Amino acid sequence: MARKLQAEDTLRLRKKKAVSRGYAKEEKRQPGECVDVRNEEGDMKEVKMNTVSRLGEYQSKEKRRKTIRSRLWRDKWLYLMLVPVILYFIVFKYAPMFGIVMAFQDYNIFQGITGSEFVGLKVFKTIFSKQQFWNSIRNTLLLNLGTLVVNFPLTIILALLLNEITSKRFKKFSQSILYLPHFISWVVVSGIATNLFNLTNGTINNLIQAVGGEAIPFLSSNGWWVFTYIICNLWKEAGWGTIIYLAALTGVDESLYEAAYLDGATKFQRIIYVTLPLIKSVVITMLILALSKMMSIGLDTPLLLGNTKVMAVSEVISTYVYRIGIQNAEYSMSTAIGLFQSVVNIIILFLADRFAKAIGEEGIL
Amino acid sequence: MIAEKKKRKKIDVGKCVMYLVVGLVVAVCLYPFLTVLAYSLSDGAAVTRGEVSIFPVGFQLTAYKEILKQTQIWTAMRVSIFVTIVGTALGLILTIFASYALSKPDLWGGKAITAFILFTMYFSGGMIPTFLIVKSVGLYDSIWSLILPSSMNVFNFIVMRTFFRQLPMELKEAAYIDGAGEMKILFQIVLPLSMPIIATIGLYYAVDYWNDYFSALLYIQSPEKYSLQLRLRQMLFAGDMNQLTSTDSAGVQVVQETLKMACIVVTTLPIIAVYPWLQKYFVKGVMVGSVKG
Repeated sequence: MARKLQAEDTLRLRKKKAVSRGYAKEEKRQPGECVDVRNEEGDMKEVKMNTVSRLGEYQSKEKRRKTIRSRLWRDKWLYLMLVPVILYFIVFKYAPMFGIVMAFQDYNIFQGITGSEFVGLKVFKTIFSKQQFWNSIRNTLLLNLGTLVVNFPLTIILALLLNEITSKRFKKFSQSILYLPHFISWVVVSGIATNLFNLTNGTINNLIQAVGGEAIPFLSSNGWWVFTYIICNLWKEAGWGTIIYLAALTGVDESLYEAAYLDGATKFQRIIYVTLPLIKSVVITMLILALSKMMSIGLDTPLLLGNTKVMAVSEVISTYVYRIGIQNAEYSMSTAIGLFQSVVNIIILFLADRFAKAIGEEGIL
Repeated sequence: MIAEKKKRKKIDVGKCVMYLVVGLVVAVCLYPFLTVLAYSLSDGAAVTRGEVSIFPVGFQLTAYKEILKQTQIWTAMRVSIFVTIVGTALGLILTIFASYALSKPDLWGGKAITAFILFTMYFSGGMIPTFLIVKSVGLYDSIWSLILPSSMNVFNFIVMRTFFRQLPMELKEAAYIDGAGEMKILFQIVLPLSMPIIATIGLYYAVDYWNDYFSALLYIQSPEKYSLQLRLRQMLFAGDMNQLTSTDSAGVQVVQETLKMACIVVTTLPIIAVYPWLQKYFVKGVMVGSVKG
């Protein structure tokens, strides 16, 4: 008996500890609830909770300070875990942000950020007067829009097709193959693309010539290069892109399809009127996400796939930043372009988020 | 009766078309891989004549034998293996720490720290300021410049935090009642339950590090510290290959093109080797990630 009591006691104690650590829920008292409190004399006294007196306010402030301190102490291990994380973000993410000052300076490597002369918006004026800069923006938008127009609907169609496959084995096999390109580096993709699309002795052009066609300059003419760029992107990302739609389609109520079938809907009609509405909100979210990324292209793709012949269409903002920043060491100009792009990106992001919420979808922020 | 039979037949035709289209897409997707493999295994002369498409012509392994002799590739391979292993481990540790600590709902200052992390997803200093920081902390031309500046990915953090939040609270509560400490709970209760997500995030980090080309291009100067991707790029495009084209001992000419494709195969093989083992996990990981954090 005594042992049982003791066990109960330790359990209660540990429960109390768990409560104080924020894991277990504490039974909260309702405001205004009457509680019995024994005063020093040992008399029973009824005290109303939550009656605010000056003294009480002072006490609660003191108490809060105390609880903050005790919470900090309680979670010391968690804070210790966060130290390296915060350190990483400060050094490699936040410290560079101070380098943005360079965009407003005539940056000189020997004088550094502290010694260089401030020139206000002069750097931006120089950039905005450059034709190359506007070209890079145009190309960024062009390539992104092209990729979006081709990739987006084809990804959805592929997802719908995969969803119709009933054979589990075939579906799994197809998915394995289709997801694979996503994990291949752009260096390898560009190598494969050169092998396939080369003007002389490229595999595709060999085929075209074999059936009596004329070799197509996939990599060296501006128009065809954009085509190649879009195709490579499609090959790499379309399969992977289906995952999110397929995820949205798992756990769909089968009875919806049965009902549609009983109503005499054909397979095609079922896809259009049952499946598509089910993934509508995912489609819209993905579209808004894609639109919010319109102004940025990762540097890898255009840099690796491009060549000097197609510079007029392959030079996007990020490659331009790289070329004038690292190759020409124009630090101020390069930073200014980067800043311009960041700011435009944030504006687009906020607009897209607003838009998403305005049409009743979940925001993206 | 006849009408019913007709209807069933019609549905089957639709099904066949679906399978056919998906099969075709899969074939197109596979085609580039097959050509690369075929090129790398073919006789150089056949490649030059443009006879190879998806099956090797005049099967031989000369290109691979030639690669074995290329010390540059193996040096770069070593660099990439080191960077991938250390980077993935570091990335996982940081991501687990951050997501575990910040998945606790009532951590004091937790929201502020989360915002502090998420902000970097939308705004950054940009290429040049980051480059200057890396230089000023003495990482320029060091192998660590390939690891440290990108050691934690915010997206992966969101995915993992979402996962940790979905774990039932009662588990941790019970552990506390049994008298377990914070570290013990993380390592003995939370992590064993999180293997799928750890595998997924680990794969993402590993692939990112293995495929990374740009960090090496930016931060590395000495050729012996080149990452595999950078080395491959040079071999594929800078005409670096000319000196490599040689006649091997048997007098069989090794053609640039086959050698390049063999390089691609060697570079991609590690990913394809681990891919099937991890595949069952990452689909799940994406699903968790699609729930907004």
